[in-house]
Amino acid sequence: MQIHPPLLRLLASIILLGASAVGLVAAADVSTSSFGEIAIPSPNKPADAANCVEPVAVMRRDHMKFLLHQRDTTVLEGERGKKYSLVGCIDCHNPAKANEEIVRYEDPQHFCAGCHNYASVKIDCFECHADRGLSSSQQSNLSLQADRLQLSMQTFRQKLEQPRGD
Amino acid sequence: MATELDNIELRPARRQFLKGAAALAATLVAPGVMLYKTGQASTSGQQLRWGLLIDTNALSEADVDACVDACQREHGWKAEVNSPTAAQWIRKVKLTDTESGHQRFLPMMCQHCADPPCVDVCPTGASFKRADGIVLVNKHTCIGCRYCMMACPYKARSFIHETLKDQLPVAPRGKGTVESCTLCVHRVDRDGANAVPACAEAVNQGGRKAILFGDLNDPQSEISQRLRKLGAVKLRADMGLNPGVRYQGL
Repeated sequence: MQIHPPLLRLLASIILLGASAVGLVAAADVSTSSFGEIAIPSPNKPADAANCVEPVAVMRRDHMKFLLHQRDTTVLEGERGKKYSLVGCIDCHNPAKANEEIVRYEDPQHFCAGCHNYASVKIDCFECHADRGLSSSQQSNLSLQADRLQLSMQTFRQKLEQPRGD
Repeated sequence: MATELDNIELRPARRQFLKGAAALAATLVAPGVMLYKTGQASTSGQQLRWGLLIDTNALSEADVDACVDACQREHGWKAEVNSPTAAQWIRKVKLTDTESGHQRFLPMMCQHCADPPCVDVCPTGASFKRADGIVLVNKHTCIGCRYCMMACPYKARSFIHETLKDQLPVAPRGKGTVESCTLCVHRVDRDGANAVPACAEAVNQGGRKAILFGDLNDPQSEISQRLRKLGAVKLRADMGLNPGVRYQGL
């Protein structure tokens, strides 16, 4: 198909006009790289981001497909430690940090939450899965809680075993 | 009496027939595709079947408490005190001989049946048996109907009623789904035949093996050899579910 040259010029000028209008709006707030009031998320990447399982562009587009596929092979077939693991993502992107506040999924600073909030994506992964890496000290804290609970259960059992008056 | 027994015997057979029909359908749908396999390969050439052998002679009350405690640490669950909705991954059962007063304690958990009724009743296929015999809940497809809890004669399953926080990476668990003992499947997938479930680890100190994990289908495995030599009890064997957890000394 061939386009008539004057028509082509008209099209080019329309495109240019549109582009300059967008440029005017963008020029108002270029420094914070935002459009209107909503900031485009730029989540912190881990130091060894280059070692991610796929290039960034692929991960941005397809991470959900990788995770969905692998969750079934993991649960049904027991294939653990393969390339796309949710635990692997979390260990790298939201690792356990000593003496620091845990970043949870509810926090916009969470690696996953930043983009999901921006794109209005609602996921329920973290209703069950851990949304942060776990350090050994945090692990032992949890064990301590279990210990305390165990103690309270023991007292409860003793009460149960006492003969009742009725 | 005889007819009752006949009926009991019929049930697994019917299951076998249904299973056969399902397998046939599967091969027709996807020829050449293995629907279920597992990360661990069998060494005996036969289909793997993981199981536990629990020696109740070697277990004191404190030992069984240690099992429960270890399971809680491993999977991050807590049993609410005096609650009918408490988590049932593993619990302590006390047997008392009323005549002699002799007491015996045993850990009770999912028995990983060969013919699990929880799988039969699940409307979504979320309750399933892996190729290596471990019975699990796929929480991605569990709708929380709790049919499996009703079906399980061992009361081995429980429902999560409340929003949870701080779950452990190895044990995802959340509101609206059913859960039970996984035979420490994350350890099994990592270590295979050398895996030691958390409850076994808690009581197998100093070389004794009060809880033994292994492949029931491998005649050379330690668990099979011990079963052959000493025998063991399947709880409620009359139901013909063929549990993978066996008890000695009952």
